[in-house]
Amino acid sequence: MMTKQVRYEALVKALHGDLYRYAYWLCHEKQVAEDLVQETFLRAWRALDSLKDEKAAKSWLITILRRENARRFERKRFDMSEYEEATITDTQSVTTEQQLENHWLREKISQLPPEYSEPLILQVLGGFSGEDIATMLDLNKNTVMTRLFRARNQLKEALEAEPVKRGMYNG
Amino acid sequence: MDDLQFRRAIYADPNNQSDETIAAQQNDASKKQFAQDICQLDEKILQALQVPVPEGLSEKLILRQTLANHQVHKRKTRVHLALAASVAIVGGLMLNFMQFSSAYSNLGDYALAHVYHEQGVFANNTDNQVTLASLNKKMSTFDGNFSKTVGKLISADYCRFDGMKSLHLVYQGVTNPVTVFIVPKNEQLTFSSTFNDKKLFGRSMEFNHSNIIVVADRNESLGEWQKNISETVSWSI
Repeated sequence: MMTKQVRYEALVKALHGDLYRYAYWLCHEKQVAEDLVQETFLRAWRALDSLKDEKAAKSWLITILRRENARRFERKRFDMSEYEEATITDTQSVTTEQQLENHWLREKISQLPPEYSEPLILQVLGGFSGEDIATMLDLNKNTVMTRLFRARNQLKEALEAEPVKRGMYNG
Repeated sequence: MDDLQFRRAIYADPNNQSDETIAAQQNDASKKQFAQDICQLDEKILQALQVPVPEGLSEKLILRQTLANHQVHKRKTRVHLALAASVAIVGGLMLNFMQFSSAYSNLGDYALAHVYHEQGVFANNTDNQVTLASLNKKMSTFDGNFSKTVGKLISADYCRFDGMKSLHLVYQGVTNPVTVFIVPKNEQLTFSSTFNDKKLFGRSMEFNHSNIIVVADRNESLGEWQKNISETVSWSI
């Protein structure tokens, strides 16, 4: 009993950040992301004995989280409206150039179709290989690679098309 | 590796370390530049993806699990308690059943067992004789009456016939004593009109409130005994 508790706490501490970020990029809402992570970890606790290989923990948790996210849509289909740009939360006040760029890029990533953004997030944030992503998303590897290519391509084009000066000018 | 293939490979995975892409970068400065650009882009993407995690999320997760676990625990102990209670009840019932139910299911089996149990007690040629009056006094408990003796009565006593108060009569027989039971009717034991084993034979007669069972060995005519008894016995209501 105790060892299970210890395992669980270690799992939470090591992976809750990655999982939260992944959830955030899936649903673009802080609160929903938090709920998803909570639900995911609760399910993970119940099924913790089925996790044999600790190395697979991250992909295991992500699989649970994706299922949980899908369930959210089953529950309330009417909530599937496209989010507006304005609803994307400004996670920090714009102060430095770096943060400004982050914010801008976040919007661009949010605007990617989910089938492109998801593999990208898994690759960049999760550090998963093409094969890993393919198994997680239940796609074949070539499809994953094509989507990754298109995702980066779109972001790069958006970056290149961006005006040199950004921001708001008054007066 | 042509330019398009190279670009696709780098776009799909900027950290692609396959021999082909490395070789391509070494042979072509512009390809190397491109790879670096995309790596930079990736760095930016990673920066952008690092949204701040809400403070105390891990504590919240652990708390929530602990609470949920506690509830499951509580529910489990309740289930265990209920289980233990059920087992206790079933155990009690079993004990009750075993202690107070008869081991024999029909009159005949019990009567035979009873006779065997008291086999040595009564000798066929004893001088004891019970008078008709004292027999009838005992018979009054069962609202019964014998008009005359049907044979030499060696013994007449109350006994426990499977927990029921009954009358145990022993008559002198041809070679061995003949046992007659007067037993109040009871639903626990099924009525068996004739029964026997290797040595003893028995017959039962059903009256209004009582059964009369005769057990004797093969030398006796049970029919005769039955006939005599049913002709002499009378029941008051």
